[in-house]
Amino acid sequence: MSGIVAHYDTLGATRDAIERLRDAGHSDFDVFSPFPAPELEEAMGITSSPVRRWALIGGITGFLTATALTGLTSLAYPLVTQGKPILSWPAFFVIMFEMTILFTGLFGFAGVLFHTWRSRRRLSPGYREVFSVDRFGVYLHDAGGKAAELTSMLRETGAVEIEEVAA
Amino acid sequence: MATAEIDVPAEALPTLAQANDDISRPIYPPSWRYYLLLAICGIGILAGGTAWAIQIRNGIGMTGINNPVSWGVYIVTFVFWVGIAHSGTLISAVLYLVRSGWRTTINRAAEAMTIFAVMTAGLFPLIHLGRVWYFYYLVPYPSTRLLWPNFRSPLVWDMFAIGTYFTISLVFWYLGLIPDLAVLRDKFTGIKKKLYGAFSLGWTGSVRDWAHYRRLYLYLAGIATPLVLSVHSVVSWDFAMGIVPGWHSTIFAPYFVAGAIFSGIAMVITIMIPLRWAFGLEKYITKYHFDNMSKLLLFTSLIVGYAYAIEFFLAWWVNDPIEKESFGWRATGYYALPFWIMVFCNVVVPMSLWFKRTRNNLAALFVVTIFVNIGMWYERFVIIVTSLAHEFEPGGWGIYVPTTTEILIMIGSFAWFFFWFLLFSRTLPVISIAEVKEHLAHEHEHGH
Repeated sequence: MSGIVAHYDTLGATRDAIERLRDAGHSDFDVFSPFPAPELEEAMGITSSPVRRWALIGGITGFLTATALTGLTSLAYPLVTQGKPILSWPAFFVIMFEMTILFTGLFGFAGVLFHTWRSRRRLSPGYREVFSVDRFGVYLHDAGGKAAELTSMLRETGAVEIEEVAA
Repeated sequence: MATAEIDVPAEALPTLAQANDDISRPIYPPSWRYYLLLAICGIGILAGGTAWAIQIRNGIGMTGINNPVSWGVYIVTFVFWVGIAHSGTLISAVLYLVRSGWRTTINRAAEAMTIFAVMTAGLFPLIHLGRVWYFYYLVPYPSTRLLWPNFRSPLVWDMFAIGTYFTISLVFWYLGLIPDLAVLRDKFTGIKKKLYGAFSLGWTGSVRDWAHYRRLYLYLAGIATPLVLSVHSVVSWDFAMGIVPGWHSTIFAPYFVAGAIFSGIAMVITIMIPLRWAFGLEKYITKYHFDNMSKLLLFTSLIVGYAYAIEFFLAWWVNDPIEKESFGWRATGYYALPFWIMVFCNVVVPMSLWFKRTRNNLAALFVVTIFVNIGMWYERFVIIVTSLAHEFEPGGWGIYVPTTTEILIMIGSFAWFFFWFLLFSRTLPVISIAEVKEHLAHEHEHGH
């Protein structure tokens, strides 16, 4: 099994290459970009990220944790302070607010780590150091015996360099 | 980002590879000047640390705090540093949400400043505690005595607010750093490559990974915005929840938040001017950026000035003799000098920023921000000390004068802050490389 890595030096050409590959029925490819590029996400058909669920669940967990922490500990040790009721929700709300935010951020970060885990275990064989400098890379995992055809197609879209890699 | 923001014609814009090199250059072995600055900070930390050690040994009597002024320089400096911490998140989160392109080159350093300022601020409640080892009483954990913190107390709110702020700022900063750490991994060899590689968590810039990254970045910006407003509001409630004249006011939360942004922006400018010069980053951090920051500074100065005036107006309008006495004494009594230093530095000096000539003259701007830094420290001194010194009963009035221990620890805190900032500036990119590239690529592609 051998793959193809194509280098591009503009965003537009990379987007064209992604569109051509998808039109030709390929989905087993990665695209590397030195900076965040919503255009490329769009071309790859990525519209959302499961990280939003992680963040939402985190926020709800944080809010409930703080509600339980402030409420239950006050009931467990019911000492009247400052002449306020044992369950002083307006005062506890500050803690609930802060912990909602804390858990949203931490869960969201855990989500990012979880969903990028596949690519973090080892650097992808199609990754090249220039992709963190100024080049975009399109890495087709398996050329499936059509290497010549794919190479010429990628060259047509403006690839500045094309190499074959063993996956 | 329009070409005007970069301040150079499109053909002179750096290429992506140049941006890569320019921004990561400061990470190469530094000169003796850097080590000299580090050594000066080291001496400052040593002086402050020694003073603290002596205070722990001899007790809190080493300070000038006593009845009635039980909060002194430590709490003043704590509030000062929490305030400094505010601009980082403001610049990264709020300006990100409103799509202000000019934040790109200053957000990284401002976020780092936030983290180091919170680290500095966090020391002061511990120092003020005297018996620092009792700090864990604030932490909610199931102890065998079944005692829990009093969640109605603003001090406990404060611990949660500052703790959350520090954690979220750190996550925000680190998330932004991950792609840049990958740049450094690919640039260096040997041990550096291994270290940056480990911290970059195997980042390759895969578009799928960027999608997750961008979502979280947006969410963090979204939650950091109310967080930044809440943190200094909670700090202000440490005061406003008390019935002390001069503190017990509903304007305290917005007043403190505006003051925090004001002092934070001033500190960003104070740091960025020498940093830009020392690292040759003029192409990236331009006069345009300083012009915008100056306008923010001017705007927040007006809010702060308004708050000063309205405090006096309310004291007069409410016609409460104790409030009137408290504010009258604040402006004319024993602490009149700190009060007028505060007014001069925070309200009078920033008025020079109405003039484009001042905003575009970096030397003048630097001087203005130094005044603001001093003025904002005095503001906290005035609020905290003059209110406590002059409460309800004339028999309970008193005067507080800081001792050498307190002054040394305060100076040490500045050394501690700058020490971390210096370390940061030589080990991590002070400008977000990925974001600069994003803007440059669009500039080049659309051929402005």
